[in-house]
Amino acid sequence: MQTKSYPKMTAILVACLLSLGWMTTAIGQTVKGKVTDEKGEALIGVNIIVKETSKGTTTDLDGMYSIEVAGANSVLSFTYLGYESKDVVVNNQTVINVTLSPDSKVLSEVVVIGYGTQRKSDLTGSVSSVKENDLLERPSPSLNQALAGRMAGVQVNNNSGRPGGRTTVRVRGFSSINSSNNPLYVVDGVMLPQGTQNQFSNAIDYINPNDIVSVEVLKDASSTAIYGARGANGVILITTRKGKAGEGTVSYNVDMSVNTTGPNKPDVLNAAEYVAVEDLAWRNMEKYDPTGWKAGKWAYLDPKLRRIDPRVWNADGSPKFDTDWFEESTQASLSQNHNLGFNGGNERTQYAFSMGYRDDQGLIKTTYMKRYSGRFTIDDQIKPWLKVGGTLSYNNQAERLSDVNDAVSRQIVEDFPFLPVKYEDGTYANNRDFPFAEGTFSSVHRLYGRQFILNTQTTLGSFYANIKLAKGLEFKSVAGVNIQTQENNQSQTRTLAIANRGEASVSNRKETFWSLENYLTYNKSINKIHNINALLGVSWQQTDVFGISGNSRTFATDYFGFNNLGAAGVIGGVGSDAAQFSFNSYFGRVNYSLKNKYLVTVTGRSDGSSKFGANEKFAFFPSGALAWRVSEEDFLKGNSVISNLKVRTSYGLTGNSEIPAYSSLSLLSSNYATVIGDTRVSGTGISRLANPNLQWEKTAQTDIGVELGLFNNRLNLELDYYYRLTTDMLLDAPVPSSSGYTTIRRNVGSMENQGIEFTVNATIVDKDKFQWTSFFNISANRNKVLTLATPSDIFNVGGPNFTNPTNIIRIGEPVGSFWGLTRLGIWSEAERAEAAKFTSYRNGLTILPGDIKYKDFNGDYAITDADRSIIGNGTPDFWGTLSNTVRFGNLDLTLDLQYSYGNEVMLMNLHPSEDRQALANSYSSVLNAWTPTNQNTMIAEVRDTRAGYVTNVDTWWIKDGSFLRGRNLLVGYNFPAETLSKLRLSKLRLYASAQNFFLIVSDKIIGDPEVTPTNQGGGNSAFSQGMIWHNYPKPTVLLIGAQVAF
Amino acid sequence: MKIKNISSAAKRFWVLLFVVVQMGCTEFLTEVAPSNLTPESFYTIPDHAEAAIASVYADLRHMGNGAGIFSANWQLLEAMTGTSTTETAQNSDLNNLYGLVHDGFTIHIRNYYIGLYRVIAQANQVIEKVPAITPMDAAQKKRILGEAQFLRASAYFTAVQLWGDIPLISKPQTASSEDFNPSRASVESVYKLIVDDLVAAEAAGLPWMDASGRVGSAAIKAQLAKVYLTMAGFPLKKGASHYKLAADKAFEVITYANSNPSVINLFTTYYDVHRESTKNKLEHLFMIQYNTSVAGNPMGNFFPNFKPVTFNGPGGTGSSVPTSAFYKSYEAGDLRAKNQEGYFYTSYFTNGNGAPFELGAPYVFKHFNQTANGFAGVAGSRNDNLNVPQIRYAEVLLIYAEAQNEVGGPTQAAYDALKRIRDRAQLTTPALGTFNANSFRELVWKERWHELCFEQITWFDMVRLRKAFNENTKGFDEFVGHTNLSSNQKLQQKHLLLPLPVPEMQNNPNLKPQNPGY
Repeated sequence: MQTKSYPKMTAILVACLLSLGWMTTAIGQTVKGKVTDEKGEALIGVNIIVKETSKGTTTDLDGMYSIEVAGANSVLSFTYLGYESKDVVVNNQTVINVTLSPDSKVLSEVVVIGYGTQRKSDLTGSVSSVKENDLLERPSPSLNQALAGRMAGVQVNNNSGRPGGRTTVRVRGFSSINSSNNPLYVVDGVMLPQGTQNQFSNAIDYINPNDIVSVEVLKDASSTAIYGARGANGVILITTRKGKAGEGTVSYNVDMSVNTTGPNKPDVLNAAEYVAVEDLAWRNMEKYDPTGWKAGKWAYLDPKLRRIDPRVWNADGSPKFDTDWFEESTQASLSQNHNLGFNGGNERTQYAFSMGYRDDQGLIKTTYMKRYSGRFTIDDQIKPWLKVGGTLSYNNQAERLSDVNDAVSRQIVEDFPFLPVKYEDGTYANNRDFPFAEGTFSSVHRLYGRQFILNTQTTLGSFYANIKLAKGLEFKSVAGVNIQTQENNQSQTRTLAIANRGEASVSNRKETFWSLENYLTYNKSINKIHNINALLGVSWQQTDVFGISGNSRTFATDYFGFNNLGAAGVIGGVGSDAAQFSFNSYFGRVNYSLKNKYLVTVTGRSDGSSKFGANEKFAFFPSGALAWRVSEEDFLKGNSVISNLKVRTSYGLTGNSEIPAYSSLSLLSSNYATVIGDTRVSGTGISRLANPNLQWEKTAQTDIGVELGLFNNRLNLELDYYYRLTTDMLLDAPVPSSSGYTTIRRNVGSMENQGIEFTVNATIVDKDKFQWTSFFNISANRNKVLTLATPSDIFNVGGPNFTNPTNIIRIGEPVGSFWGLTRLGIWSEAERAEAAKFTSYRNGLTILPGDIKYKDFNGDYAITDADRSIIGNGTPDFWGTLSNTVRFGNLDLTLDLQYSYGNEVMLMNLHPSEDRQALANSYSSVLNAWTPTNQNTMIAEVRDTRAGYVTNVDTWWIKDGSFLRGRNLLVGYNFPAETLSKLRLSKLRLYASAQNFFLIVSDKIIGDPEVTPTNQGGGNSAFSQGMIWHNYPKPTVLLIGAQVAF
Repeated sequence: MKIKNISSAAKRFWVLLFVVVQMGCTEFLTEVAPSNLTPESFYTIPDHAEAAIASVYADLRHMGNGAGIFSANWQLLEAMTGTSTTETAQNSDLNNLYGLVHDGFTIHIRNYYIGLYRVIAQANQVIEKVPAITPMDAAQKKRILGEAQFLRASAYFTAVQLWGDIPLISKPQTASSEDFNPSRASVESVYKLIVDDLVAAEAAGLPWMDASGRVGSAAIKAQLAKVYLTMAGFPLKKGASHYKLAADKAFEVITYANSNPSVINLFTTYYDVHRESTKNKLEHLFMIQYNTSVAGNPMGNFFPNFKPVTFNGPGGTGSSVPTSAFYKSYEAGDLRAKNQEGYFYTSYFTNGNGAPFELGAPYVFKHFNQTANGFAGVAGSRNDNLNVPQIRYAEVLLIYAEAQNEVGGPTQAAYDALKRIRDRAQLTTPALGTFNANSFRELVWKERWHELCFEQITWFDMVRLRKAFNENTKGFDEFVGHTNLSSNQKLQQKHLLLPLPVPEMQNNPNLKPQNPGY
């Protein structure tokens, strides 16, 4: 083309003007001024840019600035976070004082939505958002922990006290039984793997939360349908820190913390109490097994004969030690977290660079989480019509876990108090050293003898190009990549892995994801009456997974740990596996607003997935939404009370595709192995039934919402009701096992969730030196299974599976309900004859007064499955947060309370620690066990288990877990401007925080009600919520920190 | 000019977009599983046949798989006999089996059903797919098919004895198979398949014994004898014709053993019955193979409750322990009841090889691996590679003695067979002439109880005979009304069959009716 491009012309023109200006001495015109807020207070650090140039400055501590401009036509742009930006033409002024007015926060707030952004006021869907300042108020090792309680309808359970924690996130309840219930995380436009990863972690757990500046949760179908087949569980959009134009800033955030013993620590028998209980337990054997007792069968258990080890017992049989194993297994070590950031740029190019280091030392000794992270981001307006940019981040996280199974936390309770930690010769003392006790190793021995290391490296990158094709028409192309490698290295010493004389294993799993998304957006405003915003795009995504593993056993030394598998006497198994799956999608959206009052959104996505049957690869997910900004109507405009009123409704379809690849194919397994000639021989046999018709799981969601702002938006209320119907559930549906198979992956079954979400934001006091803001939310969700593949109940979901089934999925009931017997109490002396009528549920021995009394539903005098019923559910009736922030001048105080009501917990610890004695230590609750003089109790009479005991999942294990938690109490101080200027800083904030500092629970429980078991059942961990089975104890965290910037 | 320029760029992007979109659809979503084979890509060369039969053998281990806490599936076949009890009440399903209040939900029952049909499905796959493999050595093909037929027949034999009328599936299944939702087939028709399979397997040219652990023709003949013996009794009551078949088939094995005493024989000591070095040899005609490189021996629930009898210290559960009544029912001087020399132990070495200590009660020694666990002064290898016996020559002798007696009263050969069992136990046996058919029969039965105890055989004897050994009278009670001394519960008519697993009936509407009484 002949003509020169516009930018070049501009450059020449500017150059001409500049030289002209220089000749006419107009160059160097300096503009000064002061920037203040609406109250006349100086604003510090306001960005001022001379438009169309790279010149910029910021205001000083007095709000003053000075900048050279080219001439009268120059335009100064003033921007400041939380305030509306302002452009001023210089003309001939030399002093320009500017007053910035605050963003009328809620309304003009911009939120990120799928493939774009939108003013909150224009939203038709249900979107919750959390900004950087809120995240900073609760320093957390992972994003999910920082989000807990922030948003109505988003249930974040922080289920473990270990470093790095373990969270489950449910947006508006459960949508699925066999596929994932996790939301989809999208970081700067790049999707993260959605499934549950090693040790029930999520890909988001491996990203430094300090790099995150905003989080949006898309909840209703109108906002999630743009993510089609992966939107059914909600979508969490994460925006990371970008560079800013203007003077560069350096920021450094640091915090130091200590984990201390949290609420409800286990209360166990001390040495003297234990000895007394054991004495009684032995004597009571005579009552509970009279025949055996008479035959002398239990003589060997006489405590006198067992308490003879001179290392442990005095000559008179009294214990030499009284060890507090909780004390011995825990530590109060210093944890630290450092984040260093650089941020700068000019009108054309902005960059940000950050580094982070985190070292969390767990409450339980030897456990830690260390994270090194680095991140670089750049944006460049390379041409007026072309903007490019990208982000690259790398995280390296190393964790040592002790809660990989129940062993340590359980052992802390069960270790005998009369044992020392180590004998004089330096070897560990273990319960198994005491004659005829359970053959366990001590908690401390396990802590130091077992390694379980998880090393995770995450590389997350994205690159985009944004092209202005015409006025209002833009093309954006985003290429993303997410590579996660995860090593899992384990070893056990020769003294722990006795059978193998030491064992070690390593594994590595690499998941490589790439995506390429291209889309056009079009904005058009016609006479300021019709506003149209349209989106059209196409996407390709692919994931490759490759894993390798190896193990070996029998080592001559513990020295190697897992670092030299080849040094072992027996080289064990090796394995590898690979999988690939891909998506190809087409999507579009139209937002239309009429007179800024009537808003319409229509969305559609056509998703194709490799995981589905050949004829069912593609599916279409539409949605539509309407909103009416009532407060823009004449009859409300300018109303002194109602400043904002919007009603909205949406309906749409989203999907779930989180099943393993190749689920639709007929597969053989080559992982069979048999022994021929005492040698391993591998085999190939049947594995999976084909289902060529396998397709998407669909969730249809209806949402109705109201947003109300009162008193100039000082009081904001938001209420949503939703109904979600999941159909065609991807279920491992049972088939007649006469076929040799037990399940087929099918689309059957349906489930509903309905609920309400209510949020209040209030600025209660807004004075010069005193502000008080309050935030409250409440959510309720009701889940019900509507149909399943066959009427047969589904068991073995959730729970550590060491008893009969703990959870059930049954039509008409909430998924994963607790399942068990009903404990009526303990048989009394008066009921001796009645008790004896029962078919024994105690080692074949007669049921006696002092034994547990169950409800015999069908009256057949036998306690069988017919007497089991649904006895509870781990999902709360409602839950939420109340958060208050008060500012006195430079001092601020935040109190964050979390509450949950109606969630039951299953206290499975009662099985080993209350239902049975003389094998290990017990909870001190057994001091209230049944005796002929204490018949009104729920705890069976103490007896050595070998004389017959009774233990079953029953209603006594079910407790009301409703709770109120002091989640965070934070006091902060921002140094005033004068001090900062002396220190040459732009920001200095010091703060101190106490997290999980109190807990009030409805019923007395041991541990924390917000919990899942550590060794929950395989892939169905979704239904383990509220099951207490020896979890990593949740600490009270005491933290101090500083935020510095200059 | 600006707009023009850009709109031409736009055109380029539109074209690009269009091209890319077109490219995308075809190949991108096709799926090929890299870590698994599909039936279409397998069963083409002889090695595939070997891999396929290996999977059938592998699935035999279902009997050792877990059935909830402190329990394994095989306890199903011990708990109901009344010869054993438990030292832990932790597993409510197991408690219900001991208490004879099991139902269609009891996990052991469900697992056995699934496990047996899994073996059948793997065998069906071999029987269906292997014949088409070409080229393949004809003898190898015949051998593999024979093994598959033996294993399928054995699984059906167990299933039909437990549930009576059961689905009869003899072809590999897909979701669209005609018999994917099968009805119950008659006991008669199931036995027909069992006999056909075993007869075919017998002709497969297998060696008499195979020390590698694969099935040999001695095992096939012994199994056939056992099937005939069972058909002669309840519920089919074929009587004399099948006693004759059983006796003849057993006698084929005995004849071979007599002329090849170094190939098939009784072990000289009971220790050899549970010794690693005698696996698959001499008396062990067929065993389920265990080696810790694949899986260790699954009979650990016979260990006493937290008493340190192995290198592993106090690790046992005691969830299956002999009742003292059954232990005491052995005749005085019976070597099988002698501590550590027979099938029981009442004392052992601390942590396997330390100071001896009294256990206070008898425990099952039959599956105790001294090589792995240790014994006097010798540390254990810690790898329990012991197999689980399925058919011992001792049982063949007892089958013969019992069946031959039914055909024409006690003969010398029948007497000799019985006497060999008693001789090894160091028991004197009255002269042949002192027996009549009845007294001989009861003595054979009693020997079955005492010789074959804790090998998952006794329950099937109780069902086919409708008799139960009375430990106090040393005689035999009618099945219905007999009191299991383990729980003082009476056996009822309904206990002759297990209930069909209820979820199985819910998943398959054609599977009905439920067995009576459940």
